[in-house]
Amino acid sequence: MLGSLLTALTAAVERSQAAGRTTSERLRQLETEQLTLHVLAATVVFLIVLPVLIAALVSTKRAGIVTSIADLAPGGHALSNYRRALIGLEFWRYMLNSFVMSIAVVVGKLIVSLLAALVIVYYRFPYKNAVFLFILFTLLLPVPVRFVPLYRLTTELGMGNTFFAITVPYLASATTVFILRQHFLSIPASLVETAKVDGVGPLRFLWSVLVPMSRAVLVGVSVIMFVYTWNQYLWPLVIINAESLQVAQVGLSLLRGQASTGEVAWSMVMTGSILTLLPPLALLVLFRRQLLETFTIQQK
Amino acid sequence: MSTREVFTDRLQAGVLLLPTMVVSLLFLYYPTVRAVGLSFYRASLARGDVFVGLENYRRLASSPEYLRSLLVSVLFAACVVVGVMAVALCVSFLIHEIDVGKGVYLVAVIWPYALPPAVAGLVFLFIAHPNIGIFTSYIETLGVDVNWFSNGPQAFVVVLIAAVWKQVGYNVIFMTAALGNVPESLTETAELDGVSRTQRLLRVYVPIISPTLVFLVIMNTIYGFFGTFAMIDLMTKGGPAGATNILIYDLYRTAFQFYEFGFASAKSVVLFVAVGLLMYGQFRLSDRYAYYGG
Repeated sequence: MLGSLLTALTAAVERSQAAGRTTSERLRQLETEQLTLHVLAATVVFLIVLPVLIAALVSTKRAGIVTSIADLAPGGHALSNYRRALIGLEFWRYMLNSFVMSIAVVVGKLIVSLLAALVIVYYRFPYKNAVFLFILFTLLLPVPVRFVPLYRLTTELGMGNTFFAITVPYLASATTVFILRQHFLSIPASLVETAKVDGVGPLRFLWSVLVPMSRAVLVGVSVIMFVYTWNQYLWPLVIINAESLQVAQVGLSLLRGQASTGEVAWSMVMTGSILTLLPPLALLVLFRRQLLETFTIQQK
Repeated sequence: MSTREVFTDRLQAGVLLLPTMVVSLLFLYYPTVRAVGLSFYRASLARGDVFVGLENYRRLASSPEYLRSLLVSVLFAACVVVGVMAVALCVSFLIHEIDVGKGVYLVAVIWPYALPPAVAGLVFLFIAHPNIGIFTSYIETLGVDVNWFSNGPQAFVVVLIAAVWKQVGYNVIFMTAALGNVPESLTETAELDGVSRTQRLLRVYVPIISPTLVFLVIMNTIYGFFGTFAMIDLMTKGGPAGATNILIYDLYRTAFQFYEFGFASAKSVVLFVAVGLLMYGQFRLSDRYAYYGG
């Protein structure tokens, strides 16, 4: 649909373009062409934002039944809705658990992966390629293919329903090690040679040379890891059954259940949704430059 | 070989690698091996597994329900890949062709990368709800009876739209980056030759960025198979009548609704093989394209 619209419009623009002869006409045509593109881009942005915009508007209303566009006028209950969701329905607890889980995983993964990447790039030892392959191979083992046996293992370790269960299994990361390795390989080798001559040890080298030189990438991978962890749904759903330990994503599904039985209004579900969206969204907007830079490394 | 390898203390290397290796072994490799082992047993939550040989796999192969789920998964993933990539290619090209304000449009389009799938599912459940959805009355004036809580194909389409909506941004990130790397001289040559805009996209840009497109086909397939679990759990619970019962949801129900852990493990093994084949496919394809594209 979008594609054919784009084709039709550019074809129209190109026809008028072919008719143009003088430079000023050509310039004016380029301007109308750009204007068309801007109108199209704005439409696309509007369509992509619309569902969340509706959710945000509904989160300001009392009942949250909107069956027509006319019902979309913002209500005056924003403050009371967010207060009720966070305090009355204790959504703050789910948010806090999600924050603790995400920050623990980001920090832990970053440290563990920095050490592994340091060894893989700057150490000489036997079977190095095998070790690197061993780490990369875990890309084939995402949570969905192993959550059933992982559930058994975690409960057997007596760690079911604990904070340990939703953090430690996430600490090894092929993606993060890979991105850091690629980045380290782009840092001139002369730096580490100088460090070695000066008698600087590996950890010291990591901390005072590599880390300062990798700020953008470290911020980028941290955002990627945060978004990934924050958005986890399946694993917390099966391994956590105490509400006091549950994360925001699953907290939302509890709200959905209450909404369909009429215990809470749909405006509460939308309020919870907006709350759950805000932390990863804020990080993406704040650190978009570093994030985009890191993604270009990941694909290689 | 590389001059970067200046440290040689093997013990140190081992200690620094230890955390990654231990976590990988214990929580990634061991459960996978365990899944293979468990797939030969009849096992539930309680202890006392019974060895049944290939019984679970036999059950899988002869279960029409499972075969249907497999079919639904493949169809769903295919629709996700085609839908996401067609929309994302148009949007990326649009942003690429704009002179000023690219950065703003880019952020305004890629933000759903950060959108939690659970939120995507709930928001779509709400706006497309058969009774209280904001668009429902408008769509019904077009003569469509919106009843996707009981109509399978409709449910499939609604979940598909939500899934595409969430994934387009991720694709645009990689596509705009790839389009930005196309040499300016090529664009100029194409323009001088009077190649139309759409032709330029399809004949010049698409072949050049094909390694990125191959990478995205794999990422989107994996997303279609696994990443949409939360949406399905919140919107349709696999229904109605199995219309959105993709493999991962089917597996979840086998394990945590019916507590058939052995049978579920066999299903995990099938998924593992599927992911392996996909990754292998990407490896082979991107190898060829990298050579071809230079």
